Amino acid sequence: MYGWIWRHLPGPLFLRVIEAVVLVAGIVALLMFVVFPWAEPKLPFNNVTTE
Amino acid sequence: MPPPRPRPVDPPTEVIPRVEDDYDDDDYYDDDEYYDDEPPAKDTPPPDSLGRKAVRGVGEALITMGLVVLLFVVYEVYVTDLLSAEKQQDATAALDSEWSSNVVTPPPADPNRKSQLNLIEGKAFAKMYIPVFGNDWKFSVVEGTTDKHLEIGPGHYKDTAQPGEAGNFSIAGHRVGKGAPFNDLDLLQSCNSIVVQTQTQWFVYRVLPMSNEVAGWASNPKSKEAACAGVAPLSTTFGEAYSKTVGQEIVVPTQGEVIAPVPHQVGAAVPADKQAKLLTLTTCHPRFSDKQRLIVHAIETKSYPVADGFVPPEMTEG
Repeated sequence: MYGWIWRHLPGPLFLRVIEAVVLVAGIVALLMFVVFPWAEPKLPFNNVTTE
Repeated sequence: MPPPRPRPVDPPTEVIPRVEDDYDDDDYYDDDEYYDDEPPAKDTPPPDSLGRKAVRGVGEALITMGLVVLLFVVYEVYVTDLLSAEKQQDATAALDSEWSSNVVTPPPADPNRKSQLNLIEGKAFAKMYIPVFGNDWKFSVVEGTTDKHLEIGPGHYKDTAQPGEAGNFSIAGHRVGKGAPFNDLDLLQSCNSIVVQTQTQWFVYRVLPMSNEVAGWASNPKSKEAACAGVAPLSTTFGEAYSKTVGQEIVVPTQGEVIAPVPHQVGAAVPADKQAKLLTLTTCHPRFSDKQRLIVHAIETKSYPVADGFVPPEMTEG
């Protein structure tokens, strides 16, 4: 998977490194701001109220 | 690994076979007797078999999932703090501007007067201080205890008493992430003060004696300390109905009776005018889990009217 992505990044080495960093940052941002906030209420470890 | 494709003008293709070579050397040929005689042909690595690709794919997927889980922990413990800090700041700013804009007459001296605050869900209505946690420990308390409300700060259980009222002024707060207002709630000792400020009044609550202090409270030297003035096991001052109400308890999440006007007595066995003025804080327990709830009960010992430049002496008890 990672090898495949790396081979498909265009440009010379330094450009590919930059592209890879941008890709990783994008995925982390997607997780932090979209996926995790959505998933968090479904997980059972931050309930603080009594019923 | 697909075989090298013929690409006319594509310098990076040179990189690919070399990388694969190293990889294959280690895995396949080093300990293979057959190849000891003649070194492996550098130019033509065998194409990856389907099984190899599958194993590598699964391995990479597992590593990726592990990283995602780690990232989630970072999110929970640190990133939510940042997001909540902003919301708490906004709520505090809104509260400050509300307090400074509408002028109120100071409350009358009548101690039985009921100050009905206008509580709007999701809006801050009071500030809360715990001096032993340091000067910087202050939060604006919002009305409501849904996830959305608790992201802003500690949340007041709807339908429980208001600050300074007889009954049980109950607040929930996060222990991990989201600003973690109640992170150290387990460290509160009996007689520690919890100060609540509304637009017109300061209320000083003090943590009740712990369950192991109730029995010998009168002879306990601690009970003579100035900080403990007005603090005594509730069963001795307000009657047997309060015998289960101590400074700290750990309950299961379904025990909503801890925030009842008389904790653990849902049937309201005590008339309103004989009820203690309690403050109850709830958070999750143990930390990082929602198996149980950590509960702290405190009783109001003092109140002051809000005045310019006045800060209750309890605020410096840290």
